[in-house]
Amino acid sequence: MQVVREHRDDLVRRVRVMTAVVTSVIVAIATGFWFTQLVQGDYYRELAENNRLRKLPIKAPRGLIFDRKGRLLVENVPSYNLMIDRSRATNLEHSLWFAAGVLGRPVAELQQILQKYRAVPAFKPVLLAESLSLSEVARFGVEGLDYPEFEVEVQHQRLYRHREQTAHLLGYLGEPSLDEIEKSKGGYQPGDMIGKKGIEQTYDPSLRGKDGERVVVVDSRGQLLREYKSVPAVPGQNLTLSIDLDLQQEAARWLDGPEKVGAVVAMDPRNGEILALVSAPAFNPNLFAKRLQQADWQALIEDPNHPLQNRAIQNTYSPGSTFKIVMETAGITDHEFDPHTSVLCTGAKSFYGRPFRCWKKGGHGTVDGHLALKLSCDVYFYTLGQKMGIEKIARYSRLFGFGALTGIDIEGEKKGNVPDPEWSQKVRKQPWYPGETISVSIGQGPVLVTPLQMARMTAMVANGGYKVVPHLVKDAKVPPPEHEPLDAEALRVVRGGMWAVVNEGGGTAYGSARLPGVEIAGKTGTVQVIAQAQRTEEHNLPFKYRDHAWFTSFAPADNPELVITVFAEHGGGGSKVAAPIAQAIYAKYFGIDNGKSPGP
Amino acid sequence: MQSISGSITGSHPVPEDRPRLRLLSSIDGGLILSAFLLAAIGLATVHSASSEMPVDYFPRQAGWVAVGLVLMVISMSIDYHVLLDLSVVLYVLGLASLVGVLLFGVAHGGAANWLKIGAFQFQPSEFAKIATGLFLARYLAGLNLRVLELRHIVIGAAIVLLPMVLVAVEPDMGGAAMYAPLMMGMLLVAGIRVRLLVTAAVIGLVLVTGIWTFGMKGYQRQRVLTFLAPETDPLGAGYQVRQSKIAVGSGELLGKGYMQGTQSQLRFLPARHTDFILSVLAEEWGFLGVAGVLGLYALYITSATRIAIRARDRAGILLVVGLISITCFHVLYNSAMVVGFLPITGIPLPFLSYGGSFTMINFISVGIILGVDIRRYVNR
Repeated sequence: MQVVREHRDDLVRRVRVMTAVVTSVIVAIATGFWFTQLVQGDYYRELAENNRLRKLPIKAPRGLIFDRKGRLLVENVPSYNLMIDRSRATNLEHSLWFAAGVLGRPVAELQQILQKYRAVPAFKPVLLAESLSLSEVARFGVEGLDYPEFEVEVQHQRLYRHREQTAHLLGYLGEPSLDEIEKSKGGYQPGDMIGKKGIEQTYDPSLRGKDGERVVVVDSRGQLLREYKSVPAVPGQNLTLSIDLDLQQEAARWLDGPEKVGAVVAMDPRNGEILALVSAPAFNPNLFAKRLQQADWQALIEDPNHPLQNRAIQNTYSPGSTFKIVMETAGITDHEFDPHTSVLCTGAKSFYGRPFRCWKKGGHGTVDGHLALKLSCDVYFYTLGQKMGIEKIARYSRLFGFGALTGIDIEGEKKGNVPDPEWSQKVRKQPWYPGETISVSIGQGPVLVTPLQMARMTAMVANGGYKVVPHLVKDAKVPPPEHEPLDAEALRVVRGGMWAVVNEGGGTAYGSARLPGVEIAGKTGTVQVIAQAQRTEEHNLPFKYRDHAWFTSFAPADNPELVITVFAEHGGGGSKVAAPIAQAIYAKYFGIDNGKSPGP
Repeated sequence: MQSISGSITGSHPVPEDRPRLRLLSSIDGGLILSAFLLAAIGLATVHSASSEMPVDYFPRQAGWVAVGLVLMVISMSIDYHVLLDLSVVLYVLGLASLVGVLLFGVAHGGAANWLKIGAFQFQPSEFAKIATGLFLARYLAGLNLRVLELRHIVIGAAIVLLPMVLVAVEPDMGGAAMYAPLMMGMLLVAGIRVRLLVTAAVIGLVLVTGIWTFGMKGYQRQRVLTFLAPETDPLGAGYQVRQSKIAVGSGELLGKGYMQGTQSQLRFLPARHTDFILSVLAEEWGFLGVAGVLGLYALYITSATRIAIRARDRAGILLVVGLISITCFHVLYNSAMVVGFLPITGIPLPFLSYGGSFTMINFISVGIILGVDIRRYVNR
């Protein structure tokens, strides 16, 4: 079938020649390897062993963090680690005995540590002990000639001066995960320490600076002979927070102790600067500065109160009666009620064939907008809620920033939940029941907010509807706040009601939050964890069944410059538990001595 | 080229059945065994070489090998005559992609020789090389002469020089140099008179002088100079050669053991997962390891040339010759460079070095060569 006879014999002959040539070149190159590796092998082995260039990283000092008044919150302290280069030990057993003697630790313990490094090449120094004392460092220095295998490495360790009190706010450092190393595109190396949570994480790029490198020429014993080249480290930038350490500590003290679980947010309603952000229980971030001990980690993970969670932004709760602030602003802005609309409270009212009770058994009598907030009358808000309907309630809740991230400059924020029929169908796969609207009207049911969202909502009431973006760094570049369409008259009535809560006899926080010398306006909230029927006296209940307590507030009432939101998980009543904490922080802020302390 | 004269009629069984059965049984064991072993050794060495890098390149390279195997099977199953028929189109596409690189190229350390399409990046010069080989094989096979005339040589050279120049101006001198063995291998096998060869050598010398004076950038000249006298500047440009030689030499007969090479693990070796992968292997596995790997390359090359020799037609011979010329050049140059015989340039080692496009192209090459082999009986 071949039509043309092809000339292929010449090709085949030439291919054979080519194969022969290539094969001989391979043999020639192999001979080159033979010469380099076998004839000159000794020479190169010595060069490799004595390879006289060492690259030494120069770690950039991490930026310091200050509070708004320039007080140091985090600093760097030197820490000395003992490294061992096993390839340089003449008698490893002997070396370990020596080290164990200096460190005052059993030699078996050190042997165990070395066991872990079996897979690491012997010439790579490995970590034998951390945080050496200065006298131990001196001992290894003096005996260094006899034991060249030991090296003391200086590291800078983060020291969080106020430990638990600023734990969630500042975060901590840790080694980057493989994922983070990949994403950083060469920015992070294994063994680096990078910000893992809080401010340390968000501002890691500016805090960390840029590591430098020294290339030095060393002799065969590793002693430095001269410097070949050096790229200096660029230190990280310092950071000034909007936090006021005094307020932060005051808040932390009130939430310190067993069965103290909750969060406090203090914020400037004029610009969103946060002055205090506390979550309890907290953890000691200095534990993370060293390699974290397994036992410490286990304890943190297994604690039923989850100390690693930042409750101010990561946990969501029912707002309870504090939600009435949103309800009343919405009702008046939307002309469902006017400020003088009155509702008769007889202690209960029936909606959709079911009675809904007011918290006050005998009822509040005739209640208008001002009294409704002051007395926290449930029936008033049931009535308003039914008139408004769930769609409007949801719309105004979102206007106040519920159901969305606030945009605070630390990670982990939760959105919470603003329920409406669409949500019900999509998430719960069931229709919205009209009765639920009545519950939502007093902040119960599926509406969920974070303490930070609550503080921002309160700030909007205080500042006339400006949706400020909460932030922790002073002079942070935040977008200008949006102005939400909330009726100025409505906000004025609500502020008046909140003022009455604290300053008029009969207000729900009159006895617990009033502070002579400054007028505080606030709203209490108590979230029931179990149904009313099963209740006994509060202090007899087991901790996990106790009510959650809210108090959200601002001061001075006529010209607000500080918003404080307190949430106490299973704390009990909002007035009894949460309000005094806010009162104490205001006292600190305004320099008023009210003679109260966190108590036992 | 081939006339398929009415052998397929309705009453007869399909005649392709028998050759197709032969297809699989006639796969060349030497070629495939050496390619697979080399790729496996490459994976292990890449893992060791990248143990001190922020990223372990092993999983990625394993992915490339997997893709390569699929491409190998695909390119094996396509009749190379179809590829030759399409070669004009492929060649033009190759040129277009090279022009695309010049216009929209993405730089990865040095030359902007990457093209980015969506999230996918590749080096068109690698693929253009195969297309050029196909096109040249078709041209030379069609001539059917014992020895080429001068004009055929000029046309053949032009076919290669066009993409070569485009790569050179990227500027990727190493990549451009890779077209030279393709041209040389195929033209030599197709037949060049001795008189012409001598003339070409003279012209080449003149060209080299010209390029040295006008065509090269400072750092490129420095590389060559450094090669000529590396000991003069141990911490500067001679650093790489020196560190590589120390790595190789200190491996001695048996090597320092897997993942135990001080030169690579202490980061003295540059580009140790790509161009200097053989230094890592030499340091950790010693002369025995190097000899083994070079032996596998010899097996690969002799298997491929055996396939060329028994190929069914001129086109098959020339195509295989073109492909193995490229591979040979990579192997010879890289291994010679690593022991300090040749100046350092970015020429990776087939199957061993880390690299996406490069790994894929090597397996495509294996596939095409096998495709030529399994079709050697058809229609004969």
